[in-house]
Amino acid sequence: MEHHVRVAIVDDHPVVVEGVMSWIRADPGHRIAVTQVVADVTGLDGPHAADVLILDLELGGRMIADEVARLAASGYRIVAFSAHVDPALILDVLDAGAHAYVSKDEGRDHLLEAVLAAAADRPCVTRSQAKAILADPRPGRPALSGKERQALLLWFQGMSKASVARRMSISEHTVRQYIDRARVKYATLGRPAHTKDALLARAIEDGLIQPGEVATYTTFASRPRPALS
Amino acid sequence: MTAQTVPGPRPSALLAARYARALDIAVVVAAAGWQLAGAGPLLLAHLGSYSSDRFQVAAWCAITLIIAAGSVLLLRGSSRRGTGWALAAAAGVISTAAAAACPPAQMLETNWSWGTAGWVGVLVLLRRPLAELGVFLTLEALATFAVLARDGLHQPNVAAFITVLAGSTGIQVAISVAARTLHVPAQQAADAATREAEATARQAVADRIRAGRRARWLELRATAEPLLRGLAAGTTDPGNPAVQRACAVEAARLRRLFAEGDDTPDPLLHELHACADVAQRRGVAVDIETTAQSTGTGLPGSALPAVPPEARRAITDLAIAILVNAISRVRVTVTGTADGVIVSLVSDSPAQPDLPASPAGLVVDSQRDQQSLWVEARWNTT
Repeated sequence: MEHHVRVAIVDDHPVVVEGVMSWIRADPGHRIAVTQVVADVTGLDGPHAADVLILDLELGGRMIADEVARLAASGYRIVAFSAHVDPALILDVLDAGAHAYVSKDEGRDHLLEAVLAAAADRPCVTRSQAKAILADPRPGRPALSGKERQALLLWFQGMSKASVARRMSISEHTVRQYIDRARVKYATLGRPAHTKDALLARAIEDGLIQPGEVATYTTFASRPRPALS
Repeated sequence: MTAQTVPGPRPSALLAARYARALDIAVVVAAAGWQLAGAGPLLLAHLGSYSSDRFQVAAWCAITLIIAAGSVLLLRGSSRRGTGWALAAAAGVISTAAAAACPPAQMLETNWSWGTAGWVGVLVLLRRPLAELGVFLTLEALATFAVLARDGLHQPNVAAFITVLAGSTGIQVAISVAARTLHVPAQQAADAATREAEATARQAVADRIRAGRRARWLELRATAEPLLRGLAAGTTDPGNPAVQRACAVEAARLRRLFAEGDDTPDPLLHELHACADVAQRRGVAVDIETTAQSTGTGLPGSALPAVPPEARRAITDLAIAILVNAISRVRVTVTGTADGVIVSLVSDSPAQPDLPASPAGLVVDSQRDQQSLWVEARWNTT
């Protein structure tokens, strides 16, 4: 990547911010630059000032998951970074337009990867996201193929993608495709958002899905969705 | 796991209900018995002397119906003030009317209904405070006395009234007091019987738990005891890594033994946590994740199917083998599927650990990639 990915961090715990900064500094390619750190969403400069927003979902003891849709609509690419691992919350946040969900346990391994993927409008599936997708109980959930489910399950179990590839006797590239396809199918659920369109467009460009498949997805999205608690 | 042996309904409630029922039946028998064997023959003996025999017979039948209704209510356990008093009032009105329709000079001799109305009061007000029965019996006596006064008061007349009052009302009050007094020892007897039943049930559960623990302890002794003897006698070297691992395995098994006795909603997860404890004390980071693959039923995928103890044993044996060999990290996942459970462990174990033989019903797979070891056990209900 030629230029830095500009990141704004919303988190009210200085220790967490410090940790994220240290991971960013330790990145050998120095691909990410932090442009703003705020403790509350009201202090944000706006989407023109950052490519990706790292968003803590609990600020000042209050859950702000319902802010995700508004922030996504205003043009932010959001990586939710939260101590919560409740699958229903993860699915809600993805539906609202967040690009990826990284639990604080998996931050060290996956946060930078998720930020870079979001900046490029490419899918990123963390293990907590894989868990939420596997357990999705909603009747309107996207249909996943058997291979997609198997790859997600092994990824959730903690295998590296190379190990998953060996286990399934396929290439690592194909493993990534299975897992990313599952994520892209979710871009068609919930309310429409610019970030989801960008993810779908990029997936078609990358050959991850066929343009014809998007039509099917759109039908899915237009179905009434059961209310989640 | 021990099965619950205590039955659903509380024994004290059952026993107390049985004693109370015996008292209820006694009162029903007394009221109905008086109506059939006392009031009935009295009515028959004086047929022809009433101004209207048909009215007296109809009144007798009406009060018989009231007694039947009151008996049904009492035996069904109804204690509502409204219905009880409605029946009592109806009986009071009918009995006063029947008394008023008796031949004026012979009211006390020919009236069958006064005593009967009192018994209705005893029957339908049995579950009410005694004072309510007192009020009813007083009103009933006053009404009858009013009828008597209408015919003209003179001394033999009043003396006869007092005699009848003492005879019938006295017995009715005495029985009501007795029934309420007997309720206290009945409740005590029921409570005592309950305590005994509970103690027996507790003893049975305790016996079974002790037997289960003893069986598991004997099993553990076979492996833990030689190790401890060797360490105590100095024939086993505590510095030997193999001995240290063997100790860790036994420690984990002991923790599992303690965990097996616990009553938890998800014993498999609980036991896995107990096994992980020993590794965590060594500084190994263990995370345990659970999920349930959605079956598309719309139900939240959170409940794991119940895994029988033998299969849990085999799965946790496998987990212990991995956990004691891990260097720094183990990720344990438990995934519920439509027909079973998948338990997987991903760890950084340099050596290939000896995996315990897996029993029937459990499918174990493993794969090693450089430093990382993946082991998966699948248990299916079918």
